[in-house]
Formats: sequence, C-alpha cells, structure tokens
Amino acid sequence: MKHKMNRTTGFVMGALVVFGLTFSPVPTIAQQTAGQQPDPLESLPVKDREIVVAFQERVKDYTKMREAIELKMPKLAKESTPEQIQAHKTELEKRVREARAGAKRGELFTPGIAAFIRKTIKSEYKGRELVELREAVLEADTKGVPLRVNYTYPESKELVEMPPTLLLKLPQLPKQVRYRFVGRNMLLVDRENGLIVDYMLNALP
Amino acid sequence: MKRTATSILILAALVFGGLVGNALAQKPAPTQATGERVATAATAAPVNLTLPLKTDSVRFLAIGDTGTGTEQQKELADVMLRYRQAFPYEFVLMMGDNMYGGEKPADFKLKFENVYKQLLDDKVKFYATLGNHDESNQRFYKDFNMNGEEFYRFAKGNTAFYSLNSNYMDKRQLKWLEEELAKDASDWKIIFMHHPPYSSGGKHGSSSALREVVEPIFLKYGVNAVFAGHEHFYERVKPQKGIYYFISGAGGKLRPGDVKKGSPLTEKAFDTDMSFMLVEVAGDELHFQVISRTGQTVDSGVLTRQQPKAKPLNASHPSAAPAGQEQGNAAKP
Repeated sequence: MKHKMNRTTGFVMGALVVFGLTFSPVPTIAQQTAGQQPDPLESLPVKDREIVVAFQERVKDYTKMREAIELKMPKLAKESTPEQIQAHKTELEKRVREARAGAKRGELFTPGIAAFIRKTIKSEYKGRELVELREAVLEADTKGVPLRVNYTYPESKELVEMPPTLLLKLPQLPKQVRYRFVGRNMLLVDRENGLIVDYMLNALP
Repeated sequence: MKRTATSILILAALVFGGLVGNALAQKPAPTQATGERVATAATAAPVNLTLPLKTDSVRFLAIGDTGTGTEQQKELADVMLRYRQAFPYEFVLMMGDNMYGGEKPADFKLKFENVYKQLLDDKVKFYATLGNHDESNQRFYKDFNMNGEEFYRFAKGNTAFYSLNSNYMDKRQLKWLEEELAKDASDWKIIFMHHPPYSSGGKHGSSSALREVVEPIFLKYGVNAVFAGHEHFYERVKPQKGIYYFISGAGGKLRPGDVKKGSPLTEKAFDTDMSFMLVEVAGDELHFQVISRTGQTVDSGVLTRQQPKAKPLNASHPSAAPAGQEQGNAAKP
C-alpha cells in the first residue's frame, strides 16, 4: 500500500513538473525573444504585403529627401550645446518644410495603409488590452498638437509611449520617422525636426 | 591677555553661530502641493551614510523626472551635493523627463545646468535616458553623454549600464539590446530607462506592454537590476523573476500618496517627498541608500548578484575595465 502510494505520488509530482515546465510564464533560453521574431511582413497576405511595401517606399522617399537636405547642412556634433541643437533643428525644419510645401494629408498614409493600420490595431488589442491602450494614449497631454501636415509637433507636448507590442506589428519605419498617437489619431513625425510628415484619423478604435 | 582675547573670540563665534542657526531654523519652510509642511535643505538632517565605500567600487547616483527647474529640485540637488562629500559618486543616471515643458537653450539652463552646476563643475558625469517629455535631440546634448544615440551602453568597472528609450521600443532597439547583452561579460548588467516594467503607481502603474517585450531579454541574458522613473515617487519592487527593480522618479516632481497601499509589488516605497538614490556596486553586492529632500534616509540595503560568474559563449565585449574607468558607447544601432 505504502509502495503504491509512493508510486502514485511520484507520478503526480512528475506530471506537475512536466506541466509546470510546459506552461511556465518564465521564458526559457530556447524561446524566441521579440527582437528575434521574423518580420511580420512575411506572414501577410499578398495584397496587404503590397500595401505595406508601397507605404514603406513612400516613407523611404521622404527620408531620402530629408537626408539630402541634411547633408548640405553643418553636421550636428555628438557633444553639442543647446544653442547648436536648437539652431540645427530650426534650420532643418525650415528647409524640409520648404521642400514639402504643398504636401497634403494622405500622401503617405493612403487609404489602403490607413485601413491596414486600423485593422492591425483592432486585431492586436481587444478587451482589457484595448481599454488599457486607450487609457494610456488618451491620458497623455497632447492637447494643442496640430493635426496639420508640415506643422511642428510642439516640444512642450508629451510624446505618448508607443506600445512596443504594437510597434512590432506595424510596418517598420526608418529611424528618422516615428509613429505617434495624438488622441485616437496616428501621426508620422520626424524625430529630428519635429515636423508632422502625415497623419491619419481614428487609428485607435 | 592673548588667551583672554581668544576666549572672547570663540564665545562671540558661538553666540553668533547660535543666532544664525536659530534664524535659519525659524525661517518658514515651503509647503508642498498637499499643504503639508516640509523641511528644506537648510534644515535637513545631517549626512548619515550607510554605504560601505569599498575600494574599487562603482559609485553612482540615480535620479529621475528632474526637469522642472523648481526650488524643490534645487533643494534636492543641494542634498545630492552634500552627500557627495561623504560618498564621492562619479556619475549620475538620469531616468528621463529631463526637460518638462520646453527645450530651448534657456530651458537647459533653468532645468539642468543651473540646478546641477556644482556637480557639473566637479566633473560629475550625467548619463541620460529619454522620457515621454523629452525630444530625441537631447541625445546630442554634451552634458547628457548620450553620444548621439537614443539607446547606448557604457561600462564602469565590473558593471555595464544600458540606457534604453522606453518611449519607442521598436525592433531595431530590441535587436541591438540582444546583440549587446549576448556578448556582455560584465558581472553586473544594469538597465536604466524611463518607463517601469513593474510599478505600484496609481496614476500610471506597470508598463505591461513594455515588460512583455523586454523581460524575456532581461531573463535570457542575465540582467541584474533595472532602474526607471516616470512615476513621481521612489519604489523598491520585490524581485521579479529574480531581477531587482527600482523606481527613482521624484527628482523634480512629486505625486504625493500615489503608491497603492498594500500593493503586492512593493518592498519599500516613499511618496511624501522628493528623493534620489545612491548606489555602490562592490564585487557581488549592490548597496543602495535612498535620501529625501530633507536628508532623511528612507530606504537602504544590500542586494546580492544573482548570476554566477559565467561568460557568455561569444564574450567579446570589452567590458572588463578597471573601476572608475569609462568605456565608450557601443556601436551605432
């Protein structure tokens, strides 16, 4: 009897260990981390992939144009003074704005990519997660940020933290350009000169 | 005759000193937003160091959410300065929100340079990270030592420090972090960033989406401790999956009473005045002491390094510099 009990206990313990190892929330060494995950582009249907690639090309065109402008300016040193930083930002902002005079909403965020982004957010965030995302985005002090292409994101305004889990699902951007939420809307903002490159309405459901 | 004159001088000095001391003590102390009466740096408690000051240890100060330029921020800076006499920390980690409200040259003066002038004059280096109130261009500012990068690494002695931009944790940054950690043979790997993966804050709380992507990396590569800000209080979180988490976000702003009472995360918290942390890494121990604006020690202790000394498989990071010696930032992301 005692022997039987020991065997039963042993079996139960073994099963618990296997269960624990299988469903443990602590990642093991073999697990893939977020930085190692394949580009989500690869798993998209062909039509969506074409929309995303075309969007990334348009963003790339913007960064090429902007880099060409920056190359003609004195380079900002890694150990600059606030005056030098301010002067560089102001000059880059002025030159890019002039180069994009007449730019309109929707030139980068076309209806196709805007629909794709809305769909991605909607499928990634449901229930409690969506509520938390809304809370985080809407609590930020972004009142007064103009929804205007070629206007500047005011430096006095908060930059809403972009949820990393969402960034991993959205089309990757060159490092000079950022996604930013302002209310439920999504902006594309140049990180160096603060210019609003484009924006789309109601990205957040 | 000479002896009498000396006695008179000493007596006069004592009387005068007492009067001045009384006058200072009677000076009305400013009040906080809560209306609670608080002491100032002038009436602060004397320096009472609990850190061991071991030979060749790595000594630094951690402070966050500083960029206001208020009198309270300056008072806290005075206490930081006083503690440097007893604990000569070599550098300061800034947890972000380095500039609230504007980033013109005058703002850099008002909210940073003037406040920490003496420390800057004494060649104390500030290493910044970006918060949700900070523009990316701060990475070019000479006194933030970011070397033009939004995320970067530097090493001191046996300790590697990683500054992350938690406001925009994209795939590029995650990949860089993994690559750097994978080759890092430092004994201690310390992360500092703005948003806290764990927090008992009532207003913000834990940044769970951030945690979802960074925690597996921290665990995989043996990160030892994480320092964050964003919450305007101090919190020492109970170790999470073996990693130590601190929040030091009351360097320029305070959110009184914001720590949730009875939070299962809290080991120790302080949310009734502004504060900073002093840290000493000595061998396998990390000693810390948290000081308030009035000079009170509100938390202190020692933590032991979790990981055994094992070098990563492809250890090639030049991270074994002698204590106090700085190493350059990692390769460009």
